[in-house]
Amino acid sequence: MQSIRQPVPQPLLIIDHPDFDLHDTGGGEHPETPARLTAIRRQLANSPLAGRLQSHPPRPAERTSLTAIHSESYLLRLEEAALAGRAFLDHPDNQLCYDSYQTALLAAGSGLAAIDLLEEGAGQGAFALLRPPGHHAERAMSLGFCFLNNVAVAARYWQSRHRRRKIMIIDWDAHHGNGIQAAFEEEPDIFYLSIHEHPTWSFPGTGWAADHGSGAGHGATLNLPLPPGSGDHEVRRLLTEVVEPALAAFQPEALLLAAGFDGHRDDEMSGLSYSTELYHLLGQRAAAWAARYCPGRLLALLEGGYHPPTLALSVENYLAGQLEPPRATDHNQ
Amino acid sequence: MKISQHMTAPAITITSTTSIPQARQLLQERHFRHLPVVDQTGLLLGMVTDRDLRSAYPSSLLEPAEDQLRREQLERTPVVDIMSPATFTLAAAATLDDALLLLDREGVGALPVVDEEGRVVGIFSIRDLISAYRQLFGLGEWGSAMLALQDDGQPRPLSRLCAALEQADIHFHRLLRATGPHGEKIIYLRVNTYNLPAVRKSLAAAGFSAFHDQ
Repeated sequence: MQSIRQPVPQPLLIIDHPDFDLHDTGGGEHPETPARLTAIRRQLANSPLAGRLQSHPPRPAERTSLTAIHSESYLLRLEEAALAGRAFLDHPDNQLCYDSYQTALLAAGSGLAAIDLLEEGAGQGAFALLRPPGHHAERAMSLGFCFLNNVAVAARYWQSRHRRRKIMIIDWDAHHGNGIQAAFEEEPDIFYLSIHEHPTWSFPGTGWAADHGSGAGHGATLNLPLPPGSGDHEVRRLLTEVVEPALAAFQPEALLLAAGFDGHRDDEMSGLSYSTELYHLLGQRAAAWAARYCPGRLLALLEGGYHPPTLALSVENYLAGQLEPPRATDHNQ
Repeated sequence: MKISQHMTAPAITITSTTSIPQARQLLQERHFRHLPVVDQTGLLLGMVTDRDLRSAYPSSLLEPAEDQLRREQLERTPVVDIMSPATFTLAAAATLDDALLLLDREGVGALPVVDEEGRVVGIFSIRDLISAYRQLFGLGEWGSAMLALQDDGQPRPLSRLCAALEQADIHFHRLLRATGPHGEKIIYLRVNTYNLPAVRKSLAAAGFSAFHDQ
């Protein structure tokens, strides 16, 4: 008698490293702390999802991957600032310590390690817990707690190392990813789409709906600013009416998410009012988009999210959504 | 805040003998809408706008022969025949406020800027006004966020606010007190930091709360 073998579901890869805790932002009232990742780790370890998650370490980003996005002189400045024991770089928001440069290299290398694993077919998708975050970092400037632009480094690596030409970046952090937009605004093959709190009211004051990219990249930048107080309803509407048509038109070969969780109503870093459940929906949608356009090539890198218990629950919800394919009735929510 | 820092200078000008087709071509090539008309010494005589020029051209409904005749006449017509008198001008020492009030009151799109003798030194358009205010409000300057605060009605709100910010070492670069549509007093503050919870905490300790109804 022939046995019927159930296909073993592929794991969801989690990239993490204890050294992320070494990046010390000086205590006081700085919101970007190691407690953020501690809370996520604890949540996932005790989660019913635990059996479907598979942990992998990052690697420090190679120099060539970094110089594809950042200038040599900036990398030198960052390294010197950390090793010289300076308290911050470019602005007091960007606190650092002796270990911050090495930690930032690991954060920027998280996407690279995940992409290699995904390209080997090791998982159905990947999520990188990391800090410091990256999407505000510019080519030669740190900004908004960010030093190296982890998502931009990963997008370029996916193109250059694995020949995936068309990369779709979706950024749902509450704040606009100025650094990602600036890195790719003249390029037609890396699409940057961001849903964020309106730049009149929100840091860093970029991400206007009128920006569409420039030169050959015109049409490959899409900013969807939301007024303060916006919640799940507004995001759901954008996903269906704007994001999904943009994906269909672009036909990505890889999907990269700047996964910030600070739009949650309990997170004081923004005026948005998302629920925890919204992140479940985002996980479901992301999985469905990847299944449709780029199976196995879905990577989320952690950006913001500053209320640790809420961040942990939101990440768990996102991962649960990604692991649960949407039911047919969910499609038109 | 001075006009001289924001005007387009030197302005492209024409003389009273410039023909209508020449003036029209200049506007089309340079994508302008307003041309000051000057005499040989640069003294302002009047203004010609793209609307004046359009009105001078024959209607598209005319018979071809009539149309041709009218166009030939235009070739010989100097702009002095259609220009508007330059009733409103700005002095180079005028401020953005002067310009805004005048542009708003007169409903014109641009004003010539003249020196003490009345010679044209530049032109100031609504487009120049927009870029000047964009710069003043810090729009497009990265790394900042704006807060709307409720004015608590207590004495010296701006002094108290500044003192609180200074004490907490919070950098800011725009501060504006305005009256809302229902008479409510609102303070707009643009701070140069990402750490807004820390800003709100310092401001709350000084008695300021967020203004809702954004």
